[in-house]
Formats: sequence, structure tokens, C-alpha cells
Amino acid sequence: MDRRTFIKLTAVSTTATLGGCSVPGQQFIRFIPEEELKPGLAEWKPSVCPLCSAGCGLTVKVMQADVEVVKDGQHGVVTRGVAKKLEGHPAHPVSQGGLCARGQAAIQVTYHPDRLVQPLIRRGNRASGTLEPTTWDQAITELVAKLDALAGNGHQAALTILAGGRPTLRRALFDQFAAKFGAAPTVVHEVFSDDLLRYANGKSFGAAQLPTYDLGNAGFVLGFGADFLGTWNAPVAHAAAYGRMRRGRPGKRGYFVQVEGRMTQTGAVADQWVPVQPGTEGVLALGIAHVLLRDGLRPATTGRAGALIDGWASGLPEYAPEQVAAITGAKAERIVKLAHDFAGRGPAVAIVGGTPLAHTNGLFTALAVNALNELSGVVGRSGGVLFTPQLALPVAARGSLAQLVASPPQLLIVDGANPVFSAPVAMKVRDALDRIPYIVSFTNFLDETSALADLVLPDHTFLETIAEALPESGSSSAVISIAGPVMTPLFETRGAADVLIDVAGKLKSPLDLPWGSYQEMARASLAPLGDEAWTTAQKQSGWWGELPAAATTRPTAAEPKPRPVRYAAPTFSGDVGDFPYHFLPYASAALLDGSLAHLPWLQEMPDPLTSAMWSSWVEINPKTAAQLGVALGDVVEVTSTAGTLRVPAFINPAMAPDIIAMPVGQGHHSYTRYASGRGQNPLEILAPVAHPETGTLAWAATRVKVARVSDPDGRLIMFSALGELRENPLEGETR
Amino acid sequence: MAHRWGMAVDLDLCTGCGACVTACHAENNIPTVGDLQASRGRALHWMRVERYIEGEFPDVKTKYRPVMCQQCDAAPCEPVCPTYASHHNDEGLNAQVYNRCIGTRYCANACPYNTRFFEFFNSTFEKPLHLQLNPDVSVREVGVMEKCTFCVQRITAGKDVAAAAKREVKDGDIVPACAQTCPSKAITFGDLNDPESRVSQLAESPRGSKLLEDLGTRPKVTYLAGAEFA
Repeated sequence: MDRRTFIKLTAVSTTATLGGCSVPGQQFIRFIPEEELKPGLAEWKPSVCPLCSAGCGLTVKVMQADVEVVKDGQHGVVTRGVAKKLEGHPAHPVSQGGLCARGQAAIQVTYHPDRLVQPLIRRGNRASGTLEPTTWDQAITELVAKLDALAGNGHQAALTILAGGRPTLRRALFDQFAAKFGAAPTVVHEVFSDDLLRYANGKSFGAAQLPTYDLGNAGFVLGFGADFLGTWNAPVAHAAAYGRMRRGRPGKRGYFVQVEGRMTQTGAVADQWVPVQPGTEGVLALGIAHVLLRDGLRPATTGRAGALIDGWASGLPEYAPEQVAAITGAKAERIVKLAHDFAGRGPAVAIVGGTPLAHTNGLFTALAVNALNELSGVVGRSGGVLFTPQLALPVAARGSLAQLVASPPQLLIVDGANPVFSAPVAMKVRDALDRIPYIVSFTNFLDETSALADLVLPDHTFLETIAEALPESGSSSAVISIAGPVMTPLFETRGAADVLIDVAGKLKSPLDLPWGSYQEMARASLAPLGDEAWTTAQKQSGWWGELPAAATTRPTAAEPKPRPVRYAAPTFSGDVGDFPYHFLPYASAALLDGSLAHLPWLQEMPDPLTSAMWSSWVEINPKTAAQLGVALGDVVEVTSTAGTLRVPAFINPAMAPDIIAMPVGQGHHSYTRYASGRGQNPLEILAPVAHPETGTLAWAATRVKVARVSDPDGRLIMFSALGELRENPLEGETR
Repeated sequence: MAHRWGMAVDLDLCTGCGACVTACHAENNIPTVGDLQASRGRALHWMRVERYIEGEFPDVKTKYRPVMCQQCDAAPCEPVCPTYASHHNDEGLNAQVYNRCIGTRYCANACPYNTRFFEFFNSTFEKPLHLQLNPDVSVREVGVMEKCTFCVQRITAGKDVAAAAKREVKDGDIVPACAQTCPSKAITFGDLNDPESRVSQLAESPRGSKLLEDLGTRPKVTYLAGAEFA
């Protein structure tokens, strides 16, 4: 009889004997008295979160554990220090001791059961061939041979590097490799790219980068669709500042208004939520500017940002409250009230990002909000819009995914991008990759793009090598997040940067890269910051402070004759008659753009708005749902000009009746056991509408129609009680 | 004087991001159960973020509320346990002794907050995911109830550190995983017996209230209301 059975059998008699025992203070002792509980010894080491562009500094709890290793074909168990828990580094200016849900789960990248543990090489062709294990020597020989073949024919420009959007020293190293080899411009791909906002900020403020919002000192925050507390920009840094804005100044609670068509996680905490027609956010911004100028609430500006708006000097006559109300759907008196609050509760800052910039008129919207900030007088000021000083690195040319699709290279090196999943199917990335004779991928996992590669080179994870990032925003001072390895690599992986340096040296005409290793490169990059910079960074997850002038990027020059912009209604793929609803794909709180769908903690984390786990869903306003006869969990068919999806419905009152929203993240065909074959990918039905200025995807420019298909199929799984009201056809029984 | 651990959650600061939910999994060895079991209502989240929507478009208000075990002083889960697995400890925690628990689930039925979870399986941590397990927290076996412990292992560790330095535990020494990670610092933890502690002061705030206060459970978690007390 085991212990618990024994307790079970004696439970009744114990209850009978002791049930009446109600002497205060009489308590059962624990099996192990508390004074005998001794916590394990932990060492805390700095690191950097790799999951998004924010570059949060980490401190990692390291403890001894028995690790199964394979060395020279021999299996064994070694006791060594391994990472146990990630926390935000308290001194780091971006994380400030906090960490988001995704950062907490980053440790699962290292311990994922489907991590690639050795190089893979393709035998046979892509259609019928398989990826088989190989040795590093063979893999590197193969890559060197492919590069030598290109160079031998003088076809260096037939090499393209395809990379993800995180700004890192590693990216700079890849850029140097590409430049020295003579490769085509590197293609940087992100589905939710902020390039349009960078472009607009370059025009308005001379700084082509993502802003940092000094919310902690702001009195009034006006958000335009930007999910700055959830998935956009540097959410941890902005959430920390938001906390100070709300409760950090006794007696002064900052006020927050969010303008958007579908309530984001951030919009949900606003004091006022102002829905407007999608693509008209910039008109509302100028409506507020009109009232500020008309009522003399702010002195008129003559700056660069205002000069970019048509009619700015004459007080924006086309943006009177009534006209703005007619376009946006917000009431005229509300616009006037907003403008007066904006002026009266300052410093007032406006934030734009995400969906409003994903319409075809996104540039207008960004420039309009920039002009409003200039009028507010908060650009570069406390409580306003700041630009984190950036470490100057050699400027590298950038190509676009559309160019890559139009003329595929001979050799493609993929590093941290997965466009087969994260670009609209209509862009035909998959077809383009099929036309590329040889694809090499540096990766930890076999995602959709790596699955097409001919050579897969498994990378160390961030805990096993130098972890670094160059945060573009999130801090008022310059930050370089960098820290040494936290633990010994678990598998036969190699750091991608070191492999590239190795390859560069083994070419027939070796490339003249000035460093022998990634670490040397990292150290050299920090050298302009002084002798102590590297050692300081190693201790505290990064270096921050004032950059020497020589090491800082320069502002972009003002346009000699700026061409003022005016509002033009956004255009869409699909006309209103056939496709009555706006389709808004958005970055999932847990899975971002889908790059985190492989982490089980994030798959099972209830979504903040729907409590859904392991699922895809489309959000429909209750009135629209009633018209369509759709109830929670029903399967609906969403059709655009580019395709059709079948997805369970979630009824969401916090969105306009003419919007259908869907999180990006699920719908992977190949991305480990946790993500493969799960849910649907809204990018599959997006029309490939691009911004003319930057070539980036206008991901909110697709319209759809919706039809009910069937009763719930059990694929919408919810943590909240809402989900338990219905039968669970997944297993054919009622719970 | 004995400690009496309590928590305050400032709803004016919570952004609903879910960092506390994942941090709790990471700290407390909470397994994931997968889609099928999650659809049967068997997912384990000691910490959850509840979301409330009021009104109709366009006048919609949304609120978040992180909910974990409220560590009640008059806890309904304790008297119903036939094996005294669920009990009140010296410091006011509703402690759970896993090796006494026989899985009657009476405690979960009695809890008005739905914060107790049952281990329907012997959890699996596919190798090498097992390396992430926190050695200071037991991995629960099939058939036991579990719930938020206020990170009791961190309380023990905090007291050890203070004892080694020959001093009393200071306010802020002990921080549970949820409060530690919260980007906007919405969660405050501390000793309610120390009138100077931040949590004691927040517990007295005019913004403060307890969840389902009228049930008389006397929770040790105070929720601080948001905008309406601007």
C-alpha cells in the first residue's frame, strides 16, 4: 500500500477524530518542517531576449542539472549549470526589471523537444528528397563550394541574404559578409513591418526610426491604433512608463484615449475609446490640430512636420470638426472636447503605429500624427516623442521581398525570416523559392521556409552564445543589449555568425572580415564606447549611456521642397458590394507574427481578449454576427479576392460592425509538434497590396465577405467559462 | 511577529498582457496539457487575466483583472478537505500539502474564485523541456489539487537570505514571479502585519476592495480600482 492509499483509507477516521478539533492555533505540521526546506543555489547571469526587436535585457537564473549529452557518439550525463528562469534585468533601460509573457517563454526555445540538433542536408530534389543529418565539416564544405561556384562565374550578385527584422550586431556582420562578397542587397522581411513609420519619421523629424514615448512624464496620451502595451514597438518599456503615467506621480494621473476600429489589448485600458472608420485616423489627428489652431490652444508651428501637411499654414481649413466627423464617424463635439483635453492636460503625446499605417494612405496618417505632435510641442521633449540615439554601423543596402520574388537569386541564405508563412500567399514566395537552385538556412527549428532549404545549419540559442540586440526604441539614452553565453550548448549546434566567419575564411578568395569570431566582432563594435564598455555590458546585460558623437548616427537631411500630403480615402482589394467587411489581421498577444507559435507555454496562454488557447478565430461584432446567424464557435468562411479560410467565430463587442479581425500566429504547416497543422493563417487570404513609398505590405487593405458554414467544430478552445457553454465536438461528447 | 503575506493588484496599471500567467508557469513547474485536454477544461493556470466588456459598440468599456488564489483568512477550501492537505499555515497562506492530497476535489468545489486546479495526469515534460523545471518546486503527480502558493519557495528563500545576513525580512525582499515580471508593476506583495509595508498601505487605500467580498472569505488580495478613482 503506498502512502496516498494509506491516507485515503484513514481519511474518514481522521476526519471523525479530528473534525471537532477547533482549538485556535492547533494546526497540522507539514511533512517537511519549513526550517528544513533549503532552496537550491542559483547564480544569476545577464542575457538578452531574442524574441522581438525590443531587445530587453535579461537576468537568467542558472542552477545545476543533469544534462544528457552526446559527445563523439558517446551518450552520457553531465552535471552542469543550465538556465531555469528568465527575468527582466532590473538595471536595463528597456526591460526595467519587467518582461512580457513572450519573454518569459523564451527559455523554451533552448529546451524545445523539436530543436534542430545537427546540420541537415538535402538528398534528392525538393519535391521528393529528404533532409538528412550530416556533419558540420560536410555542411561547411558544401556551403563554401556553392559560394565559390558563384564567385568563380563572377555571379556574386546572385547571392541574397534574407533576414528577419531584429536589429543586431549579427545583422551587421551578415551585412559585412554580403558587402565583401558582392551579394545583392539583403532582404529584410517582417510581416508587421514598421518601415512606413520610419520613413514618415525621417520626413517629419529627420529620424528614420521607431520613436520612444516618454509616457511617464506625459499628461495626456492619444493612441492611434498602436498596441504599444501589447505587441508593438517596445511593449515592456512602454508598459513601465505607462505605469508611471497612471500612478507614478501622486496627485496626477495621466489620461489615455485610444482611437481605433477594433479594440486592441492596449485600447482596452484607455479612459476613452474612440472608434473611427478604418483608414481615417489621420483625419481625426488633423481635426484635433484644426481645433488647437482655431481656438489658439497651441501656437502655430513652422516646423518640418507641419510643413508636410497640406493646408497647415492656413489652419487646416479642410479639417473642421464637422468635416472630420463626416469622414471618421466620431462626433464633432467629441473632437472639440478631445482637442481641449489634449491642450489642457499636457504634456500631450500622440502615438501611431500598427493598423492605421497598414492602409494604403498610411503615410498620410503617420505624417498627420507627427504634425500633431509637433503642434503639441513634445518632440524631443519630456513627456513626448523621443528618439533613442543609435550606434552608427556601416550602412547596408536593403532589397525587398517583392524584388526577390520577381528575380530569384541563385543562392539564398536565410537568417531568422520565414516568409513562406509570414507573407501573403498571393505574393507567391513559395514559387519563387522553388526557382532558387540552392537555399541555406540558419535556424533553430524547421519552419516552412527552412523546410525548403537544401542545407539547414542549426544555430545556438540566445542562452548558448553571445546574446545581443540594438534596441531602436524604448529608452531615452542609447542602449546596446549584449551579454555573454549563459550556458554550454546542449547540442551539436554552432553560432551562425561564427559559421559565417569560418566560411568567409575558407572561400577560394577569402573575404577580408576583420574579426576572427563573433565575440571579437561584438567587442570591436563596442570599442568606440570606451575601454570599459565591454566589461560593463557583460555584467549588466548591456551598455547604456551617452554615445560619443563619432559613434552616433546622423539625422537625415530635410527635403529641400517637401511635397505636402492631403487625405485620400484608403483603397482596398475587393469592392464594398461583394466584400462588405474590412479584414484586420493583427499580431497575436501570445504568438506575435507566428514566429512564437512553437512555444507550448504561449500556445496554452489564454489570449487576453478571448481567453482562447491553441486556436485560431475570427472576431465578429455581435450585430454582424446576428445578421449572419453566427454564434460563438460556429465555423465561418472568410473570403477575399485572394482566397478563403474556414475559422471558428468569436463574438467581440469591442469592434465596429464592418470589421472582421483575426490574429496572426497559427496556421503553420511545419513548425514543430506544437504549431504544425493547427488553426489558420490570415495571411493566406491577404491581397498583396504594398505601400508605394516603402514597398511594405498594407496588411489592412483587404476586404472580405463572411458566411456561416457549420456548428462549432471544437477547434475554438477557451479558458473562460464562456467556452464551456457549448458541446465539445472535438471528442464527440458533452463535457 | 509572524508574517502575514498579502498582495495588492492595481487594476489601473494592469494592461492585460499575460506576463504574470507565463511567469507563473515558468516559476511553478505548471505543465501545459495540450489542445484536447484544454478543450475539456483541464488547462492549469494558477494565475489568469479575466476580461470584462461592458456596453455595446461604439460605447464599450473593457477591464482586466488578474485572478489568483486569494489566500483567504476564512478559506472555504480548508474545512472541506478530509485529509488536511488544504490547510492554513502560520503566515496566513492557504497551503496545499501535495502528498496528503487524495484528489477529492472538494476544495475546488468550495472555492468561489475557481483558482484551484486538478492534475488529471502525470505531467510530461518532453526532453529537454524538463531542464526548465524549477528544482525548488515539486512537480505534482496525477490526482492532486494545486493552486497559487504566493510563490512559497521564494518566501522561504527570502527568509533564508535575511537570516544569513542576520536581519529581518525587509519589505520588497520577497517578490513572487507574477509581481516580478509585471512590466507596469501592477502587483505588490508583502507582509500585511508590517504597517509600513507597501502592501499594507495599499490594502488601506480608498480604491481597494476584495473579490466577492460579501462571501465573507476575507481574502488577502486587495484589488485597487482604476479610472473611476482618478
